Amino acid sequence: MADTAHTGPMTSHDHDGGTRRDFLSIAATAVAGIGAACAAWPLVSSMNPARDTLSAGAPVDIDISKVQPGQQIIMLWRSRPIFIVNRTPAMQAIVKADKDAGQLRDPNSDNNQQPPYAKNVFRSVKPEYLVLVGICTHLGCIPEFVPQPGGTLGPSWEGGYFCPCHGSRYDLSGRVFQGVPAPYNLPVPPYHFVSGTMIRVGENPSNSTFDFNSIEQI
Amino acid sequence: MAAPQTQSKLVRWIDRRLPIFTFLDHELNEYPTPKNLNYWWNFGSLAGIMLTIMIVTGIFLAMEYTPNTNLAFDSVERIMRAVNYGWLIRYIHMNGASFFFIVTYIHIFRGLYYGSYKEPRELLWMLGVVILLCMMATAFMGYVLPWGQMSYWGATVITNLFSAIPLVGNDIVTWLWGGFSVDNPTLNRFYALHYLLPFVILGVVGLHLMALHTHGSNNPLGIDRKGPQDSIPFHPYYTVKDMFGLAVFLIVFAVFVFYFPNALADPQNYIRANPLQTPPEIVPEWYFLPFYAMLRSVPDILFIKAKLAGVIAMFGSIGLLFILPWLDTSPVRSARFRPIYKWVFWLLVIDVLALGMVGAHRPEGMWIVIGRVGTLYYFFHFLILFPLIGIFERPLPLPTSISAAVTKGGGKLAGASAPMEKP
Amino acid sequence: MRRLALVLVGAGLLLAPAAYAQDETAPALPRPGWSFDGPFGTFDRAALQRGFQVYSEVCSNCHSMNLLAYDDLGPDGPGGGLGYTEDEVKAIAAQKQVTDGPNDQGDMFQRPARPSDHFVPPFPNDQANRAAHNGALPPDLSLIVKERAGGLGAMPWLASGPDYVYGILTGFKNPPTGEKMPDNSYYNVDFPGHHIAMPPPLSADVVTYSDGTKATVPQEAHDVVTFLAWAAEPTMEERKRTGAKVLIFLLVLAGILYAAKRKIWADVH
Repeated sequence: MADTAHTGPMTSHDHDGGTRRDFLSIAATAVAGIGAACAAWPLVSSMNPARDTLSAGAPVDIDISKVQPGQQIIMLWRSRPIFIVNRTPAMQAIVKADKDAGQLRDPNSDNNQQPPYAKNVFRSVKPEYLVLVGICTHLGCIPEFVPQPGGTLGPSWEGGYFCPCHGSRYDLSGRVFQGVPAPYNLPVPPYHFVSGTMIRVGENPSNSTFDFNSIEQI
Repeated sequence: MAAPQTQSKLVRWIDRRLPIFTFLDHELNEYPTPKNLNYWWNFGSLAGIMLTIMIVTGIFLAMEYTPNTNLAFDSVERIMRAVNYGWLIRYIHMNGASFFFIVTYIHIFRGLYYGSYKEPRELLWMLGVVILLCMMATAFMGYVLPWGQMSYWGATVITNLFSAIPLVGNDIVTWLWGGFSVDNPTLNRFYALHYLLPFVILGVVGLHLMALHTHGSNNPLGIDRKGPQDSIPFHPYYTVKDMFGLAVFLIVFAVFVFYFPNALADPQNYIRANPLQTPPEIVPEWYFLPFYAMLRSVPDILFIKAKLAGVIAMFGSIGLLFILPWLDTSPVRSARFRPIYKWVFWLLVIDVLALGMVGAHRPEGMWIVIGRVGTLYYFFHFLILFPLIGIFERPLPLPTSISAAVTKGGGKLAGASAPMEKP
Repeated sequence: MRRLALVLVGAGLLLAPAAYAQDETAPALPRPGWSFDGPFGTFDRAALQRGFQVYSEVCSNCHSMNLLAYDDLGPDGPGGGLGYTEDEVKAIAAQKQVTDGPNDQGDMFQRPARPSDHFVPPFPNDQANRAAHNGALPPDLSLIVKERAGGLGAMPWLASGPDYVYGILTGFKNPPTGEKMPDNSYYNVDFPGHHIAMPPPLSADVVTYSDGTKATVPQEAHDVVTFLAWAAEPTMEERKRTGAKVLIFLLVLAGILYAAKRKIWADVH
C-alpha cells in the first residue's frame, strides 16, 4: 500500500467504497442502538412496584361485626385510610331524604369517584355500611367524622365529614359540598361483602371490572 | 462528526457559547492516534465503559438497598427476588466489579510491557495508580454492603490491619469503625463512601484522559509519532475497533452474568453476617488475592512485627507503582525491542498469578514458601530488576518511524522479533 | 507471545473460582444431575411441588424459610411459582398462624397467614429454636443451596450446593465401628467432619406424594433439593432464557461490528 496515495487518513465523509461501508455503519449503529434501548429497559422496569409491593397491595378482609351503629372504623388498604361507617336508620333516612342535594357539587356522583355498584345516593353496596377512602380530595388530609347534626358546624349540619386542614365538608355519603376547596366526592374503593360480617376492600364483586386507578382524584 | 462549519445552525449556536462540538470534533476526528495500535489498547476504553456500567447499575441498586445491619441482607435478597429485573442488575453489578478489575489489570500490564509509563507519560501512569487505589477502596467497601459472612469478616480483618500502625493504630481503627467493632455505623459510612468514590474515580479518569491527550497514545513500537503519516484519526478507526472489542468483551461478560453468576463469588457470603461465628476461611474477592498473599507472607523483620510488615508490604506493593517511571532506566519503551525485559515481564505475570493462588489457600505448608518467594520476587522485580535491566540490556534497533514499520512488509526489521500484528 | 498472554489470562479466569472450592478434607459429593443444570436447565415443576410437600411436612418443623412469601408459590410468584393456583396458595397460607398486632387494646394476636406473608417460621426466634434442639440451630433454608459447597451458578465441574444438600440428606449411615459419636450427633458421610447435629430427617414414605410417585429417600431428597434450589433462586429460568437472547444479540452485533471494522480499516492495512 503506497503511502503517498493518501495525504491524510480517511475521514468519516470519504465515500471511497462508500455504500457498503455506509450500510455497515448504519447497521452497526442501529443494532447497537437497539441493544442500548434493551439494556435501558430493565433499569426503567426495576423502578416499577416490585412483586412484594404489589402483593402487599392485595385486597384486605375487614370484620365489620364490631362496628357499632353510628360508629366509624378506619382500616388501611394500600397504605391509605379506609373509612367504614355503620349508618343508623336515622342516618340512612337523612341520606335518603337528600335535603341538601342542591348544595352539593356532585349530588348524583356523575364524576368517576366510585365503582358503578356504588353509584347511588348511599354511594355504597348496602345502605347500612359506607366504605370510603378517607383522603380529602383537596390536598390529601384525613377528614374528621362528624356524625352528630348541628353543633359547631351550624344548625343545618346533618352529619358527615369535616376536613380540618382547609374546611372542606362532605355529607353522610361522602359527597362534597359547594363552596369548599375540595373538588370531588370522597372516593369509594372497590369492595364487596364476602359474608354478612366481612367486607373485602380492594376487590370488585365478580360481575364488575372497575379499575380504581381510573378515578378522578384520590 | 464534522467541523462545526458544516453543521446545523443549532449546533453552531451552542458551539459558540459552549464549544462542546468543537471539542468533540478535535478529540475524536482530528486527534492523531498511532495507526499501529493492537487490541491490547482496547482495554482502557473497556475500563471506562465498565465504570459507567457499575455507576448505572449501582444507582438503581441504591434505590432498593437499605444500609442497616438488620435490613441490608434482606434488602439485597428482595432485589434478587421481588424487584423487576433486580436479579439482573445485581448480578451485573456483582460480576461487573470482577470484570472491571480484569480489564484494568490487563490495561496495567499492557502499560508495563510497552513502556507506556515512561516519559512524557509519567503523570498519566500515576493518575492510573490513583484510579486503581480508588477502585480497590470502592470494591472493598462495596463488598461489605450485602452484609454476608464474608462482608462482615473481611471488613473486620482489613480494618483491623490499621491497628498495626504504631501509637495511633487502635484509635484509627475505632475511628474507622465508628464503634467497638464493625457494626451499623461502619456499614452506613461504607455505603456513603462507596456511593461517592466512583464519582471521584470519574474525575480522576477525566484527568487521566487529559494527560493522555496531551501527548497521545503510546504504541506497540514504543516510538513517538513523527508526522501525519504515522497516525489516523480516532474516529472512525478506533471508535469502530473499540466498539467491536466491547462487543466481544460483553459476550464474555454476559456468559458469566447469565450462566455462571456466582463463579467468582464466595458461597459463604450468602450466609447472613454472624459476629459470633468466624468462617473457617476468610478469603477476599479474587482481585485482592495477590495483595492478601503479600500481607500474610511477611514474617517479623528486625524490629517490625509481622502484622505491620505485612501491611507495609501490601500498601508498598501499590505505592512503588507510583515511582515506576523512575525505577526503569531503559532508554527504550517497548518490550518488543528489549530482549531481556521481554521475558522478565512474564515472570511478573506468573508471580502475580502465583501470589493469587497463595492468597486463596490457608497459609500452611508449601503455600507459605511460595508466598514468601512470590512477595520477595515482586519487590525484587521492580526495585532491582527494573533499574538493572535498563542499564545492562542492549535494546534492538528501533524502526525509523511507525509508518515505516507498518509499510515495510510487516515491520521485519533487523532484530524486530514480532511481526506487525493485525490490529 | 500473544497466545501465551491469552492463555495466562484465560487460566487466571478459570482458576479464580477454584479459590473457594479449596477444602481438601471435604468428602467427594454425589453428583446426581439436576433438571436445572446447564444453560438450558429448568425446574421440574412436578418435583418442585413434591419437594415443597417434603419441606412443609418434614423440614419446616425445625427449619425456617424466611425469605419466601406464600404468593411466591402461585401465579404471581417468580417464574410463575410452583404452579399452584391463587386459591391453593391461600389455602396453603391459611394453614399457618401469624402473630399480628397490636390491636386496639394493645395486644398482639394470632391470625391465619395471608399470601403476602412470608413463610411462618417454626419458632418465634433463634433462641427458642436452639433451646428445642440442644443448643444447635437448624439454619434457615432460603439460601442453603447457594451457601454450601460450590453454591449455585458457579463453574459446572465443581460440586454444587444442591449436590451437597442431597449428599447430606442421603448420607446418613451407621458410624464405623469404634467411632466415638458426641452426644446429639449423627454420622453422615458427606458432612465435613461426619458428625452432624441433625437426625436423619427422611425415611421411605415419610410423605405420601399426591401424584403417586414412590417416596424413597433418594426421591424425597431429590425433590426437596429441587425445591430448595428454586427457593434460593426463583428467577434462574428467567436468567438463562434472557441470557440466550442477550448472547445471540451480542454475537450478531459483534459480527456486524467486525465487518464494519475490517471495512473501515481496509485502507490502513
